[in-house]
Amino acid sequence: MDAFLQATSLAMTPIAIACIGLGTMVGLIFGSIPGLTFTVALALALPITFSLDAVPAIGLLLGTYIGGMTGGSVSSILLGIPGTPSAAATVLDGHPMTKRGDASIALGTAVIVSAFGGIFSLIVMVLLVDVVAALAIGFGPAEKFALVLFGLSTICGLCGGSLLKGLVSGVLGLMIMTIGLDSIDAVPRLTFGSINLLQGVNLLVALIGLFAVPFIIEAFSESKMSKAQSARVAKIRVELPPFKLLWRNFGLMLRCSALGTAIGAIPGTGGAIASFLAYDHAKRFSEKSESFGKGNIQGVIAPETANNAVTGGTMIPLLSLGIPGDPATAIVLAGLMIHGIVPGPAMFMNNAAEVYGIYLAIVVAYVWVLGLQLVGIRLFVHVLKIPRDILALIVMVLCAIGAWSIRNSVFDVYAMAVIGALAYVLVAVRIPLTPIILGMVLGPSLENEFRTGMMLSGGSLDIFLTSPTALVFFGLAALVIGLQLRSEFKAKRVSKQPVEVHDA
Amino acid sequence: MTGRTQDIVVATTLLVLSCMWIWFVTTTIRTGFGGGDIGPRAFPLMLGVVLAGLAVLLMVRCYLAGAESAEPSHDEDSPHFTVVPALVVLGEILLYGFLLQKVGFLLATTAIVLFIMLFSLRRRSLKMIMGVTLGVPIGAWLIFEKLLGIHLANGSLVNLG
Repeated sequence: MDAFLQATSLAMTPIAIACIGLGTMVGLIFGSIPGLTFTVALALALPITFSLDAVPAIGLLLGTYIGGMTGGSVSSILLGIPGTPSAAATVLDGHPMTKRGDASIALGTAVIVSAFGGIFSLIVMVLLVDVVAALAIGFGPAEKFALVLFGLSTICGLCGGSLLKGLVSGVLGLMIMTIGLDSIDAVPRLTFGSINLLQGVNLLVALIGLFAVPFIIEAFSESKMSKAQSARVAKIRVELPPFKLLWRNFGLMLRCSALGTAIGAIPGTGGAIASFLAYDHAKRFSEKSESFGKGNIQGVIAPETANNAVTGGTMIPLLSLGIPGDPATAIVLAGLMIHGIVPGPAMFMNNAAEVYGIYLAIVVAYVWVLGLQLVGIRLFVHVLKIPRDILALIVMVLCAIGAWSIRNSVFDVYAMAVIGALAYVLVAVRIPLTPIILGMVLGPSLENEFRTGMMLSGGSLDIFLTSPTALVFFGLAALVIGLQLRSEFKAKRVSKQPVEVHDA
Repeated sequence: MTGRTQDIVVATTLLVLSCMWIWFVTTTIRTGFGGGDIGPRAFPLMLGVVLAGLAVLLMVRCYLAGAESAEPSHDEDSPHFTVVPALVVLGEILLYGFLLQKVGFLLATTAIVLFIMLFSLRRRSLKMIMGVTLGVPIGAWLIFEKLLGIHLANGSLVNLG
């Protein structure tokens, strides 16, 4: 109790609250601009923390991390361009809601469920940190490979009308990510002697290209604002989601929070896998699964709850074992160590006040996120009042800044343009884009975990077949594929049945 | 073009692409050393083979479906495919990238925004053209370079910021 009171006195000072707020705001801005990730924001924020006390310093970093994770939904919903890979699944239903004139409902829901997911994962972290850490650390290459394969199986649910084209799209995504230096043997693959290609195609650059360039082409194709667009602008209204809507989806929020926390606790996974798995889960168990992809609010609730629950999940191995789950938490780890807090089991004894301070800082960060985003919705939706072609022009400049700033290389701007043009062609020939993203997000992990597993087992596949956890994930993947095939055959049989025509 | 014809074209393109991929992979990437070493070639090669298989399946499905799937290639949810604007946008972004490298962010952005406003968007209001052409680059420069501390492109020939 003493430690908690001491933590309150550390985390509730005006300077600590202001630092967390500043971090949250910077994170929101970076998260909402495609290409500018919260990892970049964290790297920029880290030097600022040197002169601060431990709790305000860690609060600033956590605020940036949490703000960035939540901010990705803004551009996903408003523009259909994900600000971060974690927000890619939000585009699928968030942007159609904007097109329908429900942007503020989608944004409001996203921020509320994000806070819910984050606070849920924090509670799990506080209560079950030792248990979850012990389970998560038991994940070796075989288990991670099986989990990633399970994640890939959700392609089946994201492939729109044709499973075959969805699979083609997923394979294309996997293929793109094999270009560049092989991460295990450092062998150049399909680089054709280009130094720029050695680093491969950056995931963020590809995301910007896939979503932003088709939008720019479409907007520039229309010489002036169409009547449909005028109507859409006229329909913009600022309203928050009703409590009833959130209550109705409370069970989904709980399930997706648990999923996000569990995925986040496994190092090397992350928000993108969690959000796609949550989206697939919501779609599969929804009574209106056919409305997914057309602006179903559950398609916003599921990924946004899950990707924010990841923030608490990643803190579990970070605080209890000192293992960062992703580059962003690695920077948080650096921040902790700079301020003399060494994560690990001893931290809970040596720095109890600081640990409780970190918990409180996360709560304060979510309060800031809620406040800033709910107030900000009134401003955000006005983006849609900008004429579509001018908006596309601004998006083009922002995307070029985003692509350039990732590696300070013009090659990424060119790559964005080429990938975007190819994406436009793919959409035109009715190949869905979402499985490409899934392939790109999961591809490197899939290959690395499989190869590491095979090395550990000396070339025997037994490593994958003797792990109960891996077998559970393989079973789940097989179940997802089986269910999708069954529904495809069912749909085909229904469409082949003769339609009775009555004269009456 | 009907959906069936389009799918046949797509399947053929994918098949050619996958064959080229397999050829490049087998001729330029080494295999593993055996035992537990899977090697850097295995995954790209397997993916090429899977893509070829899927392309063949798509082709077979088109032929089996016959005239049944002669639905139009365009559905209401997908954007209307226009080649020229797509190529123009591609060219504009490539030109923007080139200019970023040569004259830096401020000049490159001003030039490309003015070009797009005049020739792609065909805007004729001087107030609007000047507002966007000066507002977008200066606003972005102030926010990103000055406020957020992100390094924007520096030109190799001229550089204003």
